[in-house]
Amino acid sequence: MRTFGQLTLATLKEIVRDKMALFWYLAFPILFMTIIGVVFGGAGQTILPVGVVAGGSPHGAAVEQALRQVESLEVHAGTEQEELAALQAGDRFLVVVFPPQAAGAPVGATPVRAYYDQGRQATNQILIASLQQILGEIERSITGAPRLFVLDARPIQPRTFRNVDFFAPSIIAVSLMQLGLFGSLRLVSLRQRHILKRLGATPLPRHTLIASEVVVRVAVALVQAAILLGIAYFGFGVPVLGSWFALAGLTVLGALTFTSLGYMLVAFVRTAESGEGIIQLVQFPMMFLSGALFPAEMMPEFLLPVVRAIPLTYLADAFRQVMVDLPAAFSGVGEAVLILLAWLVGSFLLAVRFFRWE
Amino acid sequence: METVLIENLRKSYGKVKAVDGISFTVQAGEVFGMLGPNGAGKTTTVEIMVGIRNRDSGHVTVLGLDPRTSPQAVKARVGVQLQSTELYPRLTTLEVLRLFGSFYPRPADPEAILDLVGLAEKRQSLVMHLSGGQVQRLALGTALVGDAQVVFLDEPTTGLDPQARLQLWEVIRKFKEMGKTVFLTTHYMEEAERLCDRVAIIDHGRIIALGSPRALVAEHFSERAIEFRPQAGGAPADFAHLPAVTRAERQGEMVILYTRQVAPVLESILASPGTNGGGIADITVRQATLEDVFIKLTGRRMRE
Repeated sequence: MRTFGQLTLATLKEIVRDKMALFWYLAFPILFMTIIGVVFGGAGQTILPVGVVAGGSPHGAAVEQALRQVESLEVHAGTEQEELAALQAGDRFLVVVFPPQAAGAPVGATPVRAYYDQGRQATNQILIASLQQILGEIERSITGAPRLFVLDARPIQPRTFRNVDFFAPSIIAVSLMQLGLFGSLRLVSLRQRHILKRLGATPLPRHTLIASEVVVRVAVALVQAAILLGIAYFGFGVPVLGSWFALAGLTVLGALTFTSLGYMLVAFVRTAESGEGIIQLVQFPMMFLSGALFPAEMMPEFLLPVVRAIPLTYLADAFRQVMVDLPAAFSGVGEAVLILLAWLVGSFLLAVRFFRWE
Repeated sequence: METVLIENLRKSYGKVKAVDGISFTVQAGEVFGMLGPNGAGKTTTVEIMVGIRNRDSGHVTVLGLDPRTSPQAVKARVGVQLQSTELYPRLTTLEVLRLFGSFYPRPADPEAILDLVGLAEKRQSLVMHLSGGQVQRLALGTALVGDAQVVFLDEPTTGLDPQARLQLWEVIRKFKEMGKTVFLTTHYMEEAERLCDRVAIIDHGRIIALGSPRALVAEHFSERAIEFRPQAGGAPADFAHLPAVTRAERQGEMVILYTRQVAPVLESILASPGTNGGGIADITVRQATLEDVFIKLTGRRMRE
């Protein structure tokens, strides 16, 4: 235990003092997450500018009031001329115009005009439907007509998905992969420097050495994942809908699987340089073909078998399911865990079989 | 009981016989040197003794234990310095020693070891910032920090400048004074002569001479060596017949004559037809050394 503690401490110190390692393990993923968050974070949260021309009508004022209650709307009030000009300029998505209040009670329906930007098809439907609903409510409150139906709206999907919700869990998975794969190079570099041989001449058992290396890797992975999660959660409002324990569990499993996979890859190389080459060769296509960065729907059919063969696919998929409750793209979480475990055990056995200590 | 007992040890790599049937013992408390050129089989012998390489045949015990069948027990009881090992670049010297100490059942105080190897001032320096000699002394420290009774040092001074080598010899002497046993390999004659109680000279995997440095020289030479360079390129044969010369060798441009009567030989060298009238240069007269023993036994210098 004393040996294990000292060895783990020494390994941690070596990593913390290695500026390059810190950059790749922490700074780079943070940068990656921040850029993705800034670029894709806004998409689903767009504030829709609408204009209301109340024309002195109490109904107009009521509608304006109701629209202001809607979180994702930015309500501007003004004259018809101003608001239509703003619509023309692209500064409004919708302008609602109430006719000026006529003296005496109006007979029949009050014509309410809605101008909208024909170019914005996606938002138009939502905006016009919302407007209609608001008008209906107001009308019902005036006429006192009984409700025939009560819509009990229960959100199945509690919120709209934004691109960042897809990318944030994916980036955590990709970072875990890189940490695990590149982290295994440390063993090669220790061998290259004859430090493994030197350790072999001490009573230190090999399994203690490996256990310590892996524990350090998992610890760094947890720190890395926590930081990335913090950025996504606090910086870009990506929620954590599933269990934190499940996330931590996936992080540990991902770190273990890719560390083991890394050891398997470097088992076949002599130097850290060639190890880095072979890892780049594997991690680069894995990153792009895993469905982690590009949704699988975007990929051509013939690539799907490759996508399904990649362990990162399942880790990223599981992260998305647990973290933001995205529907499974490839497999459920349980199945993903089993597939990752299979990779873990398989690559570990191959690494043990083929790794050369000298 | 001998600290190390080796009988008829053999180890081949493919067709190359790295160690070809060597036998020796190391007694408790002595500094035992294995002297030989590169590739003579020294490192293989060390690695077999400390349990990180398997032998083909022969009998080996270290502190009564067979390193093949009980490598862990041997490793826990000996200190080792391997040839050209790097150490963790981003640990301080103190951290390296503390780490290596943690591998052993009863480690020495790392601070005391730093003192012993003369690195006390560098206790907070990262290994990557040390000079080659300092790393070598730290590596020696890793061999000592387990507080073992026996240490195996494989070429501990190779690549060191003369001053660093002297410092390292001091450490080994202190270690011997503490009553511990040292096995070291070297290809420096002087190191073996100054440091070792007994020396085994090894060449091509065989021990060709074994004994105390003084005894080895005395056994092979009662003469002194006269070494010089004939300006006009004379051959040893031109001098071998001179009166009182017992032996003549050529090493590169140098001719070495061995004799018990230095003065008359010097005179006759100058008068000899072998100088072709061109005279001689770079003449030295010295006691015979292990180097001369090696040349006599193998026909060549050790460091070639």
